[in-house]
Amino acid sequence: MDKTVKMAAANLNFYYGDFHALQDISLLFYDRMVTALIGPSGCGKSTFLRCLNRMNDLIAISRVEGNIWLDGQNIYDPKVDVVSIRRRIGMVFQKPNPFPKTIFENVAYGLRVNGVKDKTFMAERVEQSLRQAALWDEVKERLHNSALGLSGGQQQRLCIARALAVEPEVLLMDEPASALDPIATQKIEELIHQLKTKYTIVIVTHNMQQAARVSDYTAFFYMGRLIEVNATETLFTRPQHRQTEDYITGRFG
Amino acid sequence: MESRFHQELEKLKMTILRMAAMTEEALERALESFFARDTELATRVIKQDQEINLLEVEIDKYCLRLLALDQPLARDLRFIVGSKRIAVDLERVADQAVNIAERTVFLSSRPPLPPNPQMEQLAETATDMLKTVISAFVNGNTDQAYDVCQMDDTADELNAAILKNQINYILTEVPAVERSVQTIIAARCIERVADQATNIAESVIFIVKGVNIKHHCEN
Repeated sequence: MDKTVKMAAANLNFYYGDFHALQDISLLFYDRMVTALIGPSGCGKSTFLRCLNRMNDLIAISRVEGNIWLDGQNIYDPKVDVVSIRRRIGMVFQKPNPFPKTIFENVAYGLRVNGVKDKTFMAERVEQSLRQAALWDEVKERLHNSALGLSGGQQQRLCIARALAVEPEVLLMDEPASALDPIATQKIEELIHQLKTKYTIVIVTHNMQQAARVSDYTAFFYMGRLIEVNATETLFTRPQHRQTEDYITGRFG
Repeated sequence: MESRFHQELEKLKMTILRMAAMTEEALERALESFFARDTELATRVIKQDQEINLLEVEIDKYCLRLLALDQPLARDLRFIVGSKRIAVDLERVADQAVNIAERTVFLSSRPPLPPNPQMEQLAETATDMLKTVISAFVNGNTDQAYDVCQMDDTADELNAAILKNQINYILTEVPAVERSVQTIIAARCIERVADQATNIAESVIFIVKGVNIKHHCEN
């Protein structure tokens, strides 16, 4: 299968004040493939994920060195519009965080912020996004009910629909199923399989079986360093580095 | 401190070793009975096979449980998958021991054929392969496993030579046909032991290195 690089981190370093949280990370993300980031708590995987759409800019004492490329454009270039970067690189968080609005308004929110006024277009995009998030059939009769009335799994898929509505190119997922039951988790994982036909996906997960099930590539982080990145099947059956092997077989520490 | 799961893996390894020791003993006794024309020893080999069969079933269940409940990865996953394969091969070696013992029972009731040094060489080669591969498994030693793969050629050549000799013998000694055919079957059983030892060697290499060398066994 042909692989095109969609995003690339090059010699990325990240600091929280004096703390050197990410050390010289270089990593490629291939177009319409899923890359999982794994590693113990505090290894830097979520920090790295947030660097990918400049979410860490919101932390005052933080500092980034190195580059992250999206289709050949350095997203840390001072001339880059951060809002447009975050539109192109959507994000889904660990805990479902729908707005206290209707289901429809949650999905339409990003479109309104981006200046869309055409109601027909908006309704079409909301439906399309909810369908892509595998939620349409469950909510089509109650689009104008509060999103807070949905189950946890439905709320998370709503957040995915909300991220998809502005047509991003890359989707970042920070432990998207960790707060969900096994059935809701399975739906999210199925959804990831479907979404990767259109989007490049980067997922942080503590669940190694989940990383093994959903991703094409897996990167193992430890103490702010990228230890190993490999095809998921290779990484979970014959990892090349001792630290990776020890972590995934529970022999760490 | 070792985790519960890693203690379970150690227990699996010990069970495989117990099965390996029983299988090795069954093969040695079967061969001893064959060359010594000892019907009593052969009968004991046949009777004791069921214990090895039951161990294979136990290992199979144990591996399945570890896969389902612990969802192992990397070398742990390879160890369980490899152990499962090894248990199947050991059980087949034990079946060959039974087949050899059955030939003993038949041949011992008839006049002996002339001595056949190639049969003894083949038996020695197969026994050596089995011992070496068990040691390779215990120590995770891939050099020994590769040696076993190489030794299989010797076993194949000896088996072919025995077949040829026995056919020639049949042509001159027609009354010996039945005994010669039984000898050919026994040689074939010993040669299959060598094949199964080679399979185990391939599993050891898979467990240690994560590479599959089945069907193109070269270092």
